[in-house]
Amino acid sequence: MSADGEHSAPGHIIPFSYTLGTFVALLFLTVITVGVAQFDLGALDMPVALLVAGVKASIVSLFFMHLRWDRPINILVLIGSIFFVVLFLVITMFDTGQNLDLKYSGDSSKVKEVLESQSFPVVQ
Amino acid sequence: MATITTADTDIHDESGSNYINCSKGILSWIITLDHKRIGVMYVIATLASFLLGGLFALGIRTELIAPGQTIMDADTYNRFFTLHGAIMTFLVIIPAIPGALGNFVLPIMLGAKDVAFPRMNLSSFYLWLLGAALTVYSMLQGGIDTGWTFYTPYSLEEGRDGVFWVGMGVFILGFSSIFTGLNFIVTVQRLRPPGMTWFKLPLFLWALYATAIIQVLATPVLGITMLLLAAERIMGIGIFDPALGGDPILFQHFFWFYSHPAVYIMILPAMGIISELISVHCRREIFGYKMIAFSSVAIAFFSFLVWGHHMFTSGQSPLMNAIFSAITFSVAIPSAIKIFNWLLTMYKGSIAFTTPMLYVLSFIFIFAIGGLTGIPLAILATDVQLHDTYFVVAHFHYVMMGSTLIAMIAGLHHWWPKITGRMYHEWLGRIAAMIVFVGFNLTFFTQFMLGTKGMPRRYHDYQEGLGWSVETTELFHTYHFISTIGSYVMAAGFFMILFYLLQSLVTGRKAPANPWGGASLEWECTSPPPHHNFDETPTPEYCYKFDHWVWSDSEQGYVKKALQ
Amino acid sequence: MSLLLSILAAEQPGPIDTGGGFWFVPAASEYATTHDSIYEIVLWLSIFFFVLIVGIMIKFAWDYRRKSNNEPAGFGPTHSLVLETTWTVIPLLLSGVLFFIGIDTYADFKSPPANCYEVDATAQKWAWQFDHRNGASDSMVLKVPVGKPTRVTLHSNDVLHSFFIPAFRVKQDVVPGRYGSLWFTPDKPGVYQGFCTEYCGTGHSKMNFWVEAIPQEDFDDVIAKDARWIDDYSGDRLVWAGARLFSRCASCHSLKPGERMTGPSMWDLHANWGKTKKIEIDGKIQNVKIDENYILESIVAPWEKIAPTYMNQMPANFGKQLSSKELDALVRFVRQLDLVTDDNGQIKTEPLLSVTN
Repeated sequence: MSADGEHSAPGHIIPFSYTLGTFVALLFLTVITVGVAQFDLGALDMPVALLVAGVKASIVSLFFMHLRWDRPINILVLIGSIFFVVLFLVITMFDTGQNLDLKYSGDSSKVKEVLESQSFPVVQ
Repeated sequence: MATITTADTDIHDESGSNYINCSKGILSWIITLDHKRIGVMYVIATLASFLLGGLFALGIRTELIAPGQTIMDADTYNRFFTLHGAIMTFLVIIPAIPGALGNFVLPIMLGAKDVAFPRMNLSSFYLWLLGAALTVYSMLQGGIDTGWTFYTPYSLEEGRDGVFWVGMGVFILGFSSIFTGLNFIVTVQRLRPPGMTWFKLPLFLWALYATAIIQVLATPVLGITMLLLAAERIMGIGIFDPALGGDPILFQHFFWFYSHPAVYIMILPAMGIISELISVHCRREIFGYKMIAFSSVAIAFFSFLVWGHHMFTSGQSPLMNAIFSAITFSVAIPSAIKIFNWLLTMYKGSIAFTTPMLYVLSFIFIFAIGGLTGIPLAILATDVQLHDTYFVVAHFHYVMMGSTLIAMIAGLHHWWPKITGRMYHEWLGRIAAMIVFVGFNLTFFTQFMLGTKGMPRRYHDYQEGLGWSVETTELFHTYHFISTIGSYVMAAGFFMILFYLLQSLVTGRKAPANPWGGASLEWECTSPPPHHNFDETPTPEYCYKFDHWVWSDSEQGYVKKALQ
Repeated sequence: MSLLLSILAAEQPGPIDTGGGFWFVPAASEYATTHDSIYEIVLWLSIFFFVLIVGIMIKFAWDYRRKSNNEPAGFGPTHSLVLETTWTVIPLLLSGVLFFIGIDTYADFKSPPANCYEVDATAQKWAWQFDHRNGASDSMVLKVPVGKPTRVTLHSNDVLHSFFIPAFRVKQDVVPGRYGSLWFTPDKPGVYQGFCTEYCGTGHSKMNFWVEAIPQEDFDDVIAKDARWIDDYSGDRLVWAGARLFSRCASCHSLKPGERMTGPSMWDLHANWGKTKKIEIDGKIQNVKIDENYILESIVAPWEKIAPTYMNQMPANFGKQLSSKELDALVRFVRQLDLVTDDNGQIKTEPLLSVTN
């Protein structure tokens, strides 16, 4: 059917120990994530969470998804997708950050009073 | 030397087997792995959804024909416009061209026997069915009234359980789209026959390739958005609901990061169809092949950078607004390039006013208006006035319906002989094309004026007691009346199309292999094609040189000039 | 609602949203006029390109129409660097120009001057509330001075809404959980329509309001009077205060007998005053007497007793927004509804006080 292109690293199948190792590593890192979430690290909250998530994603892509033994172009494809994720997160967070001072810090006395006396009336 | 079955040998070969009759029984269709059968199932499915979404649209237009309640109350109206939008966007326009026409045409045009992953292809269809079933289920449970955009916190309110079901339906439909996209990328990369270089690819395939990249890259974000929405509703995680510390604008960022590239998933394959059809029906090499190909990829790339232009008045910071506005102009440039290239393709061509060509001409007319009306929406100052008014409704119907959907209908007519082996009644086709064109413009042009005069979107009513003067209510009534009549005219056109297409299946003339004189590989197979597409691997040539094909009166189609 | 219109009708000189040309309602501020000229530029550019594109298309379609099936295939140029560059560079340059024209005006829109008159607008399903700093408050009419910039601070109590005044060409979404604002300067007296333009549910189409631009020299007096408007109402006249307050309720409650809207009709309560009616508490049907206490509770704690076949969706914070005198007035209004409405359920014109002030 296909008339061109070879498969990369033909016949290379990772040993079961790698798959198992990936699973164990992920479990361990998940425990770390939950554990760290119990502490308030202030401004470090987000970077630490992203770091752990990044390590997990790297383990999955390099070992479980075979990228370590694959052609470099496939790693480029993955990095390309990450570029778009980063773009999305950066722009969104930047926009959210620009509006932080509008969150209930207005100088309107009447509105402030109304806000203080009630909390988000929920239509029950 | 490839021996490609030519029209001469097969057209009267009654015992010739093709993909339709090569195996019998409903089971052979349900578990088929043949991309052509899957394409046909998608055609039926998406057209059926179009009918359903269209009925909702007729309900909306009928309600708005006059001030005051006409046939439904506010709650029903809100459900109608929500379901109209959700069905048309997720069940029709996004899957239709890639899933229906793309699935059928791409492998044959490429010179391959099938797509790279036939089972994934079948799964993508079943995922579509599952997503559609969930949406219909939610409708039967009373539907949703949040608008197809599901903005929070309205969509988080208690009791609106339909949001969960439609959200899950959308989540699953996303996977259908991802599978199709993935399949197409691998097929185009890997299954090209020798000699089919990138710059010999037909432009429809360039368009589908660019679309597939968007499908694979953007749709997961929609999936995550729906999951987060469900998690917020069920577990109250506090991401979108301000009562729980969340941010409603964050939902909009998430939603539009997918939904803007999604509109390019819709229009790019449509533009690809137009590129094919215009060169075939003008029997002339396409002008600016490389620019059109590159512009498809450019649109795909830039589409990811402009989602904020749906949020200019939402509370997005002025700096981000300015950046998104500037980049939005960049997406307009490749589209303009395409239009001019198409026009130049008509120059010194041999233009036949076949039904597909009439749709192509409609497309250029309508897309010009749709694209140009995007400019006041891209400019910040004017968008502040026009956002969330009928002007936007008119703009997106001009590009989504008048352009994308009309291109799909054009493609359906162009490849109908190939898919079904029958010719439809040509004059009925032309008349219906003109009816649809007139009906479309009647329906949506007055909505531009409704929008500039300030009529907001998603209003179930407009009357003097609701804030307008008597004179303006009269004016709105006139505009809405014209719009509703236009929608009935358009509906008549579409029902006419349904009629003669179905009629062609029964009494249509048997189609020659190449009724239009196209030069891409699909016209070398019989109509309908055999199960395996090609007997031997074809030798691709540049598909926009038409002089190898000459008209044959006996065939009522084109045949290959005898090669020495 | 009609009480308001009759007040407005007496004050405004003519049709409010008519005139103004083919596209927009009349511009009521300098910013609006600038906006309209930007739109004009874009409009004519668009018409030019549309005529160019469709004109070329029609000309080529006619000139090169196929005359017979045996005609040879068309043959013409297939690429031209000059043309491709031209139609890439010219749109690019035009885009740049258009972007800069728009951004200037937009920056203006986003920069309220320092000496704005400040008002707060609260959006709630499905009506607005405009609060002036001196305590004046209204639900349908936003009074602003002519010739002086007004800044409206926006806040929502429940879901997304959007504050839109076509005459001033201004709009801003009202997002729960944060403040927004917009500003405008009316350049002549008049009454202008406003709408909610972000879908918010059943009553989205009914969430309109009015902006009344009052000359500066009269404005302070008007607002001061508004702040203590209810002081002028007492005794027998208190029912008319209730009629005025009722505009806040009119988007969900009718005054016509038997007319069902989001909430029950007030007329039915009035007609059955003193009798018992069925209500639902925790799913169980019980009886309650229609009297002052019932009406009062229905305003300040509407979730307690629900009328059968209606949903529990009345906003919960009216009790905190209304003073006790205002609540009194509303209760009186329902009790004496026949005194203030005519046969069609419309509120009659309020009789003037015998003493002019």
